[in-house]
Amino acid sequence: MKHKFLIAGATAAALALTLSACGSSSSTSGSGGGTIASKLIMGGPPEFKTRVDGLPGLAKNYGVSFGKYTVTDTGGPVTVNALKNGQVDAADLFTTDPSIAANGFVILTDPKANFAAQNILPIINKAKATAGVTSTLNALSAKLDTAGLGALMVKVVTDKQDTDAVAKGWLSDQGLATTGTAASGVKLTIGSANFPENALLAQIYGEALKDQGATIKYKLNIGSREKYVPALKDGTVDLMPEYNGSILQYLDPHASATAPDAVLAALQKVLPSNLIVLNQSSAADSDAIVVTKATAAKYHLTSIADLAKK
Amino acid sequence: MTSMTSTSSSPWHFFGYFLDHRSQDLSWLWTHAWLSVVPVIIGLLIALPLGWLSRRYGWLYPPMVSITGLLYTIPSIALFVLVPPLLGLSSLNPVQVPIALTVYSVALLVRVVADGLASVPDEVNQAATAIGYGGVRRLFAVELPIAVPVIAAGLRVATVSNVSMVAIAGTIGMSNLGQLFQLGKDLSTPTAYYPPIVLGIVLCVLLALVLDGLIILLTRVLTPWRRAVPSR
Repeated sequence: MKHKFLIAGATAAALALTLSACGSSSSTSGSGGGTIASKLIMGGPPEFKTRVDGLPGLAKNYGVSFGKYTVTDTGGPVTVNALKNGQVDAADLFTTDPSIAANGFVILTDPKANFAAQNILPIINKAKATAGVTSTLNALSAKLDTAGLGALMVKVVTDKQDTDAVAKGWLSDQGLATTGTAASGVKLTIGSANFPENALLAQIYGEALKDQGATIKYKLNIGSREKYVPALKDGTVDLMPEYNGSILQYLDPHASATAPDAVLAALQKVLPSNLIVLNQSSAADSDAIVVTKATAAKYHLTSIADLAKK
Repeated sequence: MTSMTSTSSSPWHFFGYFLDHRSQDLSWLWTHAWLSVVPVIIGLLIALPLGWLSRRYGWLYPPMVSITGLLYTIPSIALFVLVPPLLGLSSLNPVQVPIALTVYSVALLVRVVADGLASVPDEVNQAATAIGYGGVRRLFAVELPIAVPVIAAGLRVATVSNVSMVAIAGTIGMSNLGQLFQLGKDLSTPTAYYPPIVLGIVLCVLLALVLDGLIILLTRVLTPWRRAVPSR
């Protein structure tokens, strides 16, 4: 029977490890010295603690350091609900998230451009970026803007419409659903990260290219960049919708560019050799520090800089 | 797919959700099914010799069962992430999931095979030897058939646990029923969105019941003598 105890012991040890890991997920982040931020709990994804434009950037650009940082998720329901229920006082959310308006959250302005631009653009395997594919994708990127994308996200997240139907609807609303032969003969595997907006964008790309005669295969909801960037490099996936600031940060963790064109220029230099990016759209979905209306009113917050006041 | 899908967030709307997304859900169910079954079959093929060795050489039993049992404590998400780089697979290669799940099946089945072989009465083995069954032939013609009920019990546990573990691979982009949980989580703003989550649970449970039933059926077919003498 000895082995039974061994297994039980190992299970208990693994459980203890997991529990202690959970416990340490929230930690204090240095001195706030009586500022408003020092009284607040900030919530966001795990890597926000160390990212250049995360807590280190907030401290450097604004002198803001929060009383406590709690790990939630990457701009998803966990973060939204934590903010709504008061488990965190401020949160890292994405600007196109319909739950910001739905909950009356307040986006704090970022006058010192701590957060990099996050314009949406296609990242594509060079071999598949034929003239027809390029012109098709550039035409739709020209029509995509932040407000329009926000409206599409309301349809997907709030109204629970299917992303493929929303994608087709947008293309026909924009007069982009014309059939042609620009991309005929091209076979593309289109991937997306595992959040609804990215899957929607992948299907906008895919349906537009299908209309132009391309053969499209989808690999949606792949996961994080750690999973899909290798897939882009080895050719398992040919095309993905990306955010210029995030992909730059992933490829070059020390990148400091924040303005859209500077980010794009920096990105062109660090792209893996088999990949290129096409024209970026004006639609952007960037990180933002978001607080509830009540918190904004209580501390008179409109900008991130206000958090550093006493 | 219809463009006008009904948008109820009630848990009971799962069937309507299924009807609206039938082809997608059925294709996920299908991949989920083979991802659950293949690892058990490969796991059994690996566990058979290991189990036989631990039965044949008694001193091997404790370390073999402890070490393979310990494999079961590796968190599945860690294994899914580790398998591709360790084996040099592309990061989206679909075989990474069956490989990881095979590890768990082996963990469960080595002990089951050894115990199954141990359940064969000594008299039976001696009688088989006496009428000329030796070594490998005795193993396949006498011992394994008699061990089938015990091994099948282990296969049922391994299969059902695989059904639930495959779903975790949905969070790293493998298309299976796990995607329904990811989808339900993503759309749970501003309020909880139950239909895909409940549908995922219902389909997982149905799949587990069907696979479990198949193993019971197979056991009956393989052990006709048990029905000949129902009362022991």
